[in-house]
Parts: sequence; structure tokens; C-alpha cells
Amino acid sequence: MTNNNLSVISLISIGEHPTSRRPRRAEQDARAVELGLKLAGERLKALYAGTIESPSIEVALRSYLGMGLAEINILNLSDPADATLALAEHLKAERPDMILTGVRAENGESSGMMPYLLAEQLGMSVITSIVEVSSIDKVTQQAEVLQALPRGQRRKLKIKLPFIASVDMAADAPRQSAYGPAMRGKLVMNQLSVQVEDTLRSKWQINEGQKRPKRLKIVKAKTAADRFKAATAKVEGGSGKIVHGSSESAKEILKMLIDEGVL
Amino acid sequence: MSSSALLSQIMPILIFVALLLAIIGAVRRALLWSQGQKSTIHWSGILAVPRRYLVDLHHVVARDKYMSNTHVATAGGFVLTALLVIAVYLFDIAAQILNYMLLASTMLMFIGSVFVLKRRKNPPANLSLGPWSRLPKSLLIFSSSFFFLTLPASGLLSDLVPELFSSNIAENIAGNIAGWLMAVVLIAGIIWGLGEMFFGMTWGGPMKHAFAGALHLGLHRRQTRFGGGQSTGLFAIDLAEDKLGVEKPEDFKWNQLLSFDACVECGRCEKACPAFAAGQPLNPKKLIQDMVVGMAGGSDAKFAGSPYPGIEIGTHKGGAIIPIVNGLVEADTLWSCTTCRACVQECPMMIEHVDAIVDMRRFETLEKGQTPGKGSEILENLIATDNPNGFAPASRMNWAADQNLAVLGQDVEKADVLLWIGDAAFDMRNQRTLRAMIKLLRAAKVDFAVLGEQECDSGDLARRLGDEATFQRLAKTNIALMSKYQFSTIVTADPHAFHCLKNEYRDFGGQYHVQHHSGFFADLVKKGAIKLQANKALSLTYHDPCYLGRYNGEYDAPRYLLQAMGIQIKEMERSQTIARCCGGGGGAPVTDIPGKQRIPDMRMADAKETQAEIVAVACPQCSLMLEGVVEPRPEVKDIAELMLDALVEDSTNE
Amino acid sequence: MSDIFRRDPRAEWIARNRLHPMHKPVAEGPVRGPSGLLRKNPHAVGFIGPNGIKRIDRSGASTGGSATRQSAKQTEVILPLHKVDEPDFYIVVALDLVSGRLNGHDKDVLGLAQKLANIDEAKGAVVAVAFGELKEENLDVAGVDRLIHFYTDAYQEYNPEQRCADLQVIVKELQPRHILLPDSINGGGDLGRRLAAKLGQRPACGVWKVNGDQVVCRASAGKNDITRTLPTLMLVLEECSEPVSETRHQSLIMPLNESQEINSTIEDQGNISVDPNAIPLAEAGFILSGGNGITDWANFHSTAKSLRATEGASRVAVDDGNMPRERQVGATGTWVTAQVYIAVGISGAVQHMQGIGKCDKVIAINTDESCDMVKRADLSAIGDSSEILAELVSLVEQNNNEKGADHDQ
Repeated sequence: MTNNNLSVISLISIGEHPTSRRPRRAEQDARAVELGLKLAGERLKALYAGTIESPSIEVALRSYLGMGLAEINILNLSDPADATLALAEHLKAERPDMILTGVRAENGESSGMMPYLLAEQLGMSVITSIVEVSSIDKVTQQAEVLQALPRGQRRKLKIKLPFIASVDMAADAPRQSAYGPAMRGKLVMNQLSVQVEDTLRSKWQINEGQKRPKRLKIVKAKTAADRFKAATAKVEGGSGKIVHGSSESAKEILKMLIDEGVL
Repeated sequence: MSSSALLSQIMPILIFVALLLAIIGAVRRALLWSQGQKSTIHWSGILAVPRRYLVDLHHVVARDKYMSNTHVATAGGFVLTALLVIAVYLFDIAAQILNYMLLASTMLMFIGSVFVLKRRKNPPANLSLGPWSRLPKSLLIFSSSFFFLTLPASGLLSDLVPELFSSNIAENIAGNIAGWLMAVVLIAGIIWGLGEMFFGMTWGGPMKHAFAGALHLGLHRRQTRFGGGQSTGLFAIDLAEDKLGVEKPEDFKWNQLLSFDACVECGRCEKACPAFAAGQPLNPKKLIQDMVVGMAGGSDAKFAGSPYPGIEIGTHKGGAIIPIVNGLVEADTLWSCTTCRACVQECPMMIEHVDAIVDMRRFETLEKGQTPGKGSEILENLIATDNPNGFAPASRMNWAADQNLAVLGQDVEKADVLLWIGDAAFDMRNQRTLRAMIKLLRAAKVDFAVLGEQECDSGDLARRLGDEATFQRLAKTNIALMSKYQFSTIVTADPHAFHCLKNEYRDFGGQYHVQHHSGFFADLVKKGAIKLQANKALSLTYHDPCYLGRYNGEYDAPRYLLQAMGIQIKEMERSQTIARCCGGGGGAPVTDIPGKQRIPDMRMADAKETQAEIVAVACPQCSLMLEGVVEPRPEVKDIAELMLDALVEDSTNE
Repeated sequence: MSDIFRRDPRAEWIARNRLHPMHKPVAEGPVRGPSGLLRKNPHAVGFIGPNGIKRIDRSGASTGGSATRQSAKQTEVILPLHKVDEPDFYIVVALDLVSGRLNGHDKDVLGLAQKLANIDEAKGAVVAVAFGELKEENLDVAGVDRLIHFYTDAYQEYNPEQRCADLQVIVKELQPRHILLPDSINGGGDLGRRLAAKLGQRPACGVWKVNGDQVVCRASAGKNDITRTLPTLMLVLEECSEPVSETRHQSLIMPLNESQEINSTIEDQGNISVDPNAIPLAEAGFILSGGNGITDWANFHSTAKSLRATEGASRVAVDDGNMPRERQVGATGTWVTAQVYIAVGISGAVQHMQGIGKCDKVIAINTDESCDMVKRADLSAIGDSSEILAELVSLVEQNNNEKGADHDQ
């Protein structure tokens, strides 16, 4: 489904691989591009605000071009700058019907605030975690979208154009990035009207993510014996319960299913 | 005018016309080839054609003795006949000796043709029908026509039946009519014969293989594979080009187009192809013929051999400037290939199927971004983490936490042997092999070190999946890394890495002395550095990895090691050069094209036939594929693991 | 408090006087010696066994004893009521209330709110904001001092813009010291960010630890931690704090300011029913997975249907053509995160075990008790899989019917 007079912009960022920490195509942003390509085809515009200092960042940025974009517009910001203002200025001029982006970035603060802040500044509606845009009605200025809920459930929503939507990981996986088009696509530098430094961030202390301790089952035991029991009881993990016989087994399984609340 | 006079007048004209048409056809064919891209022209190869034909080509043909003898008779007879016919009938050289020779050569050709015809009586499925079934008849007609044409001139006949062929035959009306009749039949036969053999040779008949094949042998893209040499590394491409890989037939190199024309449709590739046997939509013979269709334009309806399993013949067409994939050939066909080179090994015309397939895959991956199955995920992982499964690069050495390995750049700056770990580092099954190897190396007191966390995937998988860009990046990274250290030999348990390091890094400035662990250990055993118990009577068969055997010609070292352990190898029917692939190469497990059965299951069935209890392997990919077969099945063990079991610990150590 | 120990002669006297009506509770409570040290009464330990002999059970596992029966009664004690009549400040918590009830995440957020409300002996009140249906009865023990409840029909649906506007009104009125929301996919994450954008405040998202006036937030999609000063608006992760467990709270309904209705640009069309098999395997919460040991695939499919489980398969089952490739679970297929994973006839190859590493509960149905899957499973049923599945289906149907009957009444 490609709509001929629909203008869609996908906002893209540089992701970061969870294990190697190398720059890459961000998974959610790539899904936003994928969704945009399905909606607007070749007329999809991609916009990136950030630094392109290192070659590895350029390679990562080009991997979006490899999905079939002809060009990427770049707002070249130095690192601690606030991307929202620059984006908002640029988008005000563009006036797109739809802005697609990932739910949150893969590096930096990754607060997931970007779509909300842009919506506020541009006066657009905002919607989060969509997986699909099922229809767009330019006459009534409404679009029908599917929103991801936990465990694969979906909610159908109608939303007024223009709007900003963040695309969930449950959306269609992005198409493969092809090397040839990626290298031949254009990176278009745009003029920056504003560049505001993110001063708050410089006060933060950023560390490697600590492993969160698993919450223990707290036993508010009143007696020493209870506390002792709680401390020494076999921790979950050893081999589980084994049952024989089909009716016994079925009963036990049912019990577990009900306990876990999946039925 | 007598019938014989007519014959002697008409013969030069017929031959001249046939030759002229043949030359026109040849030019036309050459123009078709010239649609292809530039490639080095190895003129010196032309001189080597007879040798390559008689030695290299016949070496392959001779794997089928019947066909080899038949072909020697038919082809030898034909070449002689053709030369003599031109000498005798076109240039009118009237030497009696030539007539006798001509009789002999046609006779030889006739005998050969009879055997060709015999073979065609109940042709096996791998042979093409259609024009190829006509060919033996044409051969018979050609040879017999010229035999009978030459018979009177030779004077042999006149001694036997002087009254029929005497000079006063004109007075014999009955004889006259018979003579005219015979002349007409002869002329018809000669026209047929010349048409098939001369005209058809350059205009696309079955005899095209002789003309294109001779040129192809001379101008082959891999000159070094002749005369016992080997050339199996893929060709690199320039990543800055406007189009990467092959989209249309015209994107092939001109000598690749020529090679497609050399195909004789003998179907040996089809018989050898594991994907075809597994019912995946690939038939190497059909693929080459489709390339011929693409080069000349048209549909595949005339193809008279086995189809791609599951795909009907006649539903696809193409042309030189029409994209191949999904017009002429389905993408699944390209992705079914395991790059095992069994087809290339078997091809008597030395056609390079794997090169063509990888060229087309490159376009699919690099330009279209359509690597099927888990391909795109694997490639993304290789780009982001330097290993196909996306493990943290920093965890590459986790398996060896207890091994106390010397890491180049950290613990040492040089070592005799660089142990290349490869992707087995992340796989629990193959870590067992690595551990066994390390114990063996220590037992042999080899000074070795590893690259540690900095080692990257060799790039084999990326390259076979068509991602030349990632391969080149990985290769260059590895080469730059290795250039920092000193070592004399690289040893690896992975034949895929072995092949890349040995044959494919060369194009990027990486020249190394690389040994597969089987070869390296065989040398150590020969030197006495490793002593193996020879008292084990294991019931064992050995599976040749494609990238060790066919790609690098190493069949003996693993067998030597097994024999050194006192094992009598129960060879599978398909072993050594014709060993069946485990199905793990070329990214086939990644692209996972559905078929009727799985290749590893077929290979395991081969192993079961030998009644062996253990399948010895020498490749981490093979061990994974074969262990993936549902039990009960023979146990799968790497050579290194078997060696460790049989190792005699040197007591002087303690 | 003073460190000087003061004797309570009256209590001592009651403890000595066995006939005093207050004797029992006082004597059983902590008894202090003259110097103020706690004294143990050895006579009060243990219970009289069935044959009249006193028994002391130190394992804590005694059954039938009167002592335990007493302690069972004691667990039903009413928690002390924490009263905040004149709060110095407010802490606003907008609850997720999935299907009208507090979930663990909500309780943790309330726990954190109470911690912040009572920091340094402060007297803050936790104001819980509930939208839509509210079925929860235990708001008091979860730590709700005040409750604002929006319950008109409009709130039965997804109307984040309206909710955000309501929160804005509340914030304007109460000027809370902190606003806390669960950073969840159940609405809190969305609502909190909307509010932050409207208020022009920079929230701390992904907060998982509060240390004094510092918060630790997850950043870089979970790879980094940011430590920053405690902001007003916080979106907090699950287990950011212990839930309230020792106090009871007033949960007074707060007078509701007229919420002004705004023009919503989003219209809820309701959830669409999702076929369990249409749920991507990686997202599915309940997976029934089949392997080489399954002989009756029709039975397997029908079981999955009646359990409303998403179907999975082992590699062998896929290779044999019994299941499509995208159903393959494992390192070479899909890595699953199901809450319950039932492995039927799967012995458990290494790659498969890797793929189910993140599953919460694993149930194995297998004929081989020694296989790796049984070793991993939390519950293993040994026997013929089709029999067990058939039995299970009939039990589930019976269970559903009973439930249906309950609803009818």
C-alpha cells in the first residue's frame, strides 16, 4: 500500500550493538523506515540529527540507505547537543503527514521522550509502539493504526493526521540493507538553525549498566526458625518435580498452568 | 554426367558452404560471448588446448571408462575425418594414403558412434534427450556417408565388385539408376552430417560443445587449474563498481559465457549435486543451460534434461539484458547450492558452476539485499560482531579460560604456529575439538599461540552468501592483525577458514603457510612427535569435508592419521573426490531452502551403509550437520578427538 | 528516644500474676530483666505433644502443634495504620491498573512513593491516580494515602490525552514533590512521557534505584546507567523498591476537581483478537512445543488450540516437515521468552535449551526420564505424550466449564 500524496518522514538514529557496542542501524528506527517505505515507497524521507564524525557512524548511517532510500537528510550536531530542537525546526518547514521513529534510542539517555517533545513542539498527535498503519484517509485526515500490547496482543486505534508514531519492535522486521545502494546513496547535509547544548546531561554520571540484583523472595519471618528456613531452603533451580501416569501428570500440569495464570 | 562425377563436383561446394556457414556461426557465437564483461585473455592457453583436452579433460571423462573409450573413438575419429574430408574433398588432394586414412577414421568414428547410440538406448536420467538423442544418429550418418563416399575412390571396392563400379557403368542402366539413387542418398547423408557436425557446431547444435569447449579449455578463467594445479578461491570484485555481482547474463565475464556454451549436458554434475538429490530446486546442468538461454535469449522450454526439482520446464525465459533471477532462474535455485564443488569436480568441460552461482548471489545480497532465510541476520551479525551468531566479541576466548593459551600481542609476540580458532570458539560441540587439539599440540611440544579476542571470522560464510563487502572487511582486518606478529604456519581445524586463509586472502595481501590440523598432525606423527596407540579396532568411516578435499586436495592426511591409530577405514561409496557434502557449506543451513529430504540425513545414510559405529570428521561444520541427524546414528567425532583418545603420553614429560 | 531503660512495674506484676486477664499477651511478649536485657522464658517454648510430653521443634516445620496454630492466627494481624492527615506535600502516582488491579509494578512504584513520602521523618501523602475500572481492594496495604479515581465511561478506553490532561490539572493543584509512573508498556510509560512533554519537565526514565537524592536510570537501551539528581517526574522500572508491606494506609478519596474534557485525537477501536499462532514466537507468553517424540500431530494441534497456546517446534520436527520453519525454537531458530513453555517429546538438544533459556517455567512431557529437558524442567510428566495431552485437554475443558458456571451464578 503506497499512498501517492502522503508525506512521511522517518527519523533515524545510530544504534549500538548490545554486545559489541559498535554503531549499527538501530533496530526500532529501521522498523520505522521499513514501515515508512511500505507507506510512502520512494517518497519516504529520512532525517538524522547527530554527529557523523567517525567512519563507523557513517557506515551505520549508510546501512539505512541500503534499505532503498535515495538520500538521508542530516542535521549535523556535535555530540552533547539537544537533537529535539534542531529536528523540530527542520520538521516545521517540512510539515509531514506522518513522522515515524523508534520507541527509544539505543544509546545516550534513551529516554524515549523524542516523539513526545516533537509532538509538543509541532502541535501534532503522538502515539507510541505501533506495529502497522492499516489505512489512511486523507479526506477525514485520519489513520488507522495497530498498537503493540504485551505478549503479542494488538489494539486498533484511529488517529488524526498529522501525527508522530513510535514504532515497536513487534512491527515487521526491516528489510536487509544492501551494500551497493548503501554506498551509492546520498548523505545530504542541511543547514542548522539552532544548536542548543544539553547542559543537564553534562552533570550526569554515566556508567556501564550494572546487573540488577534478582529480587529475593522476602520472608518477613517473625521467628528465627522461619528465617532460618527461608535462608536455607533449597533455592529454585535444581531439578523439578517429576510425575508419572497420565492423569496425575495432567493434574499437575493444569495446576501449574493455573498458578502461572496462562489459561 | 555420371553420379560419381556429380558427387565429386558437388562435394567441394557442400563442404565449402558448410565451412562458410560454420565460420559465420562462429562469429555470431563469439559476438554472443562478447556481450560479457572484460576479462584477461590468456592467449597462451590456446596452445595448451590439445594437452588440456587429452590430459585434464580426459582425466575427468575417464572416471566413466565406457564413455571415455567411446569419446576417444568418436571424437578422435571425427577430428581426423573432418581434417581429411577437407583435405580430400575441398582441396582435392588425391593421395591414396589419405583415402585409406579417411576410411579408417570414419570407421573409428562409426564404431564410437555405435557405442554412443547403445548408451542412448535406455539413457540414465542425467542425460539430456532432444537434440542429444539425435546426435548419435547424426554421427553414424556422417561417418557412414563419408565412408561410402570414399570407398570407390580408395579403389578397394573396384577389386571386389568391378562390374558395378567399373568405368563403363554408364552402359548399365540398372546400375545407373542404382548409382543415382546411391548418390542422392549419399548427398542427403552428407548434408545431414555436415549440417550437424559443421553447421551445428557453431549454430547451437549439440556439437557446439566441441567448438566452444576447445576455446573454453584454452581461454579458461582459471588457467592454473590445469596440469594438476588447483584454483578454487573465489574471484574478488571491486566494491567501488557501479554494479556488484551478476544481474543479467551480460554481467558475466565473456569467458564465463563461453564456458556455459561448452556444456555437453552429460549430467555428471546433476548426479553429484547434493542439493539436487535432496530435492532442492537446483540442477547444475539446467543452471548452465539456462545461462546459455539467457545469453542467446529465449525460453527454457527446449531443455531436454531433468528440471530443477519442483519447478516445471518451460515457465522461465530470459535474455542477455534481462535480469536472471525470477525471470530465468528462481532465487531459491541459487541459494540451494552448498558450494561443495562436486559439480565442478565432475564436469568434464571444466565449467565453474560455483563461480557463476556466487556471482549471482553477490547481486542478490549486495544490490538487492535479498539474502533468504536467516542470511540477513547472520550478515548483520558478522558486520556488527565479527561472528555469525552475534556473540560478544569479548567473549571469544571464554571457552579457553582454563586453557592458559598464549595470546599474540598479550603474552607473546611470535610463535611457530598460529592456531586459528574460528567460529568453533562459540560452539560447545566444537570446543571439544579445540581442546583436543590443544592437548595434542602440547603433547607434541609445539610452540603455538592464538590471536585471542581480536580474531575475526574468516569471512567464508559472508563470501558464500554473496556479501563480498563483509568478506573483504573481515579479510583485511585479519590480515592487518596477523601482520603484527611473527609465525611460520597457521593451523586450523576449520577447512573453511583454512581455504580462505590459504587461497582467498592472497588477493588482499595475505600470503600464509596454512595447514589443516589433519595435515599438521600427520606431519607430527610422521616425525614421531606424536605417538598414537595402534591397538584400537574401531569400526569407523571417514567423511571428507568439501573444503578440505575438493577445494584443497587433502584426502590423504586424515586417512594417514586414522591408519596410524590402527583403524581400518570403512570407506563410503562416495568418498574422496566424489564425497557427498554434509549440507553445511555455502551458507545452505542459513538460507535453508526446503527440499524433499535433508542433505546431512542422506550423508548419514551413506555412513550407515558402511556399518561403521563412528563417523570421523575433520570440519566443525560437518560435525554440527552430522550430529544434527536424529539418533540412532553413528557417533560423530573429529579426527583430533580420536587422536587424543589414542595419544600415548610421553612419560619423559614428568 | 532515650537510651535509659525504664521498668514497667505494672507489666512485671501482670507477668507474675497468672490469673490476671492480661497475663497471657504480656507474658508471651518480650520479657525484660531488671537491667533491661531481653529474657527468654524457657517454659514458654514448645508445645505439649499428643502423648503429653513437651516437644520443642526448632526446625520450624512442626505441624499439628498448638504453637503453630497460634502463629497462623497471628499472621492475620491487622497492620498498623499509617495516618497522614495534614500532609506537608504530595507524591502523585499514576497507576497502570491492568484489568483494574494493582500489579507488581504498581505496588513497587507505590512502595517507592511511600519511601519518598516518609524520607527523613517527612509527612508526605501518596496520591494514587486511578483511571477507569478499579477492582483492587487492597489499596490501603499497598500504600495509597489518597486516591483520585476517574471512572467515567471514557476512561474504560485508551485515552492517553485525556488522562494526561487530568494529571496536568492534578499537578497544578497539588504541586506534588514527585510524580511517579511505572515505566511500562501498560500505559504508564506512554502517559508519563506525555505528561513530561506537556509540563516541559525532563523526566528520569527507567529509574531502578533511588539512593538519597540520587537516582540511577537505565540508559542506552539497558547498556548503561545514568546517576543523576532526583527529579520531580520519574518513570520507574519494576523492582525499583520494595512494595509496602508493614503498614496500612488511609486511601481516602480526594475531592476531584472537575476534569475538563479535551478533544482527543486518538480514538480507541478496541483490542483485536489475536490468534495464538499469529503471535510471533519470541513474544508469545505460553508455548506448546513439539518435537521428535510426537506421533500424533493432529492431537498436538488440537491441544494447542484448546490451551490457547502458541505452537513451537524443535529443529527435528521442522526438518521432518511436521511444522513450518518459523516455528522452530532454539539457538538456530527463535529465542523465546515464554512464561510457560511446554516441551512435548523434546529431549533437549543444546541449541534448543539455549533458545528456551529465558523461559520462566518449563514443563516437559517425555517418555525418557533421563533426558536433558527433564533435567531442566520445573515439572516433568513421564509417559505417553498423546495420553497426557488428551487428559490435559479434558481437564482444561472441565475447568473452563466450571468457570463458565461460576460466572453464570
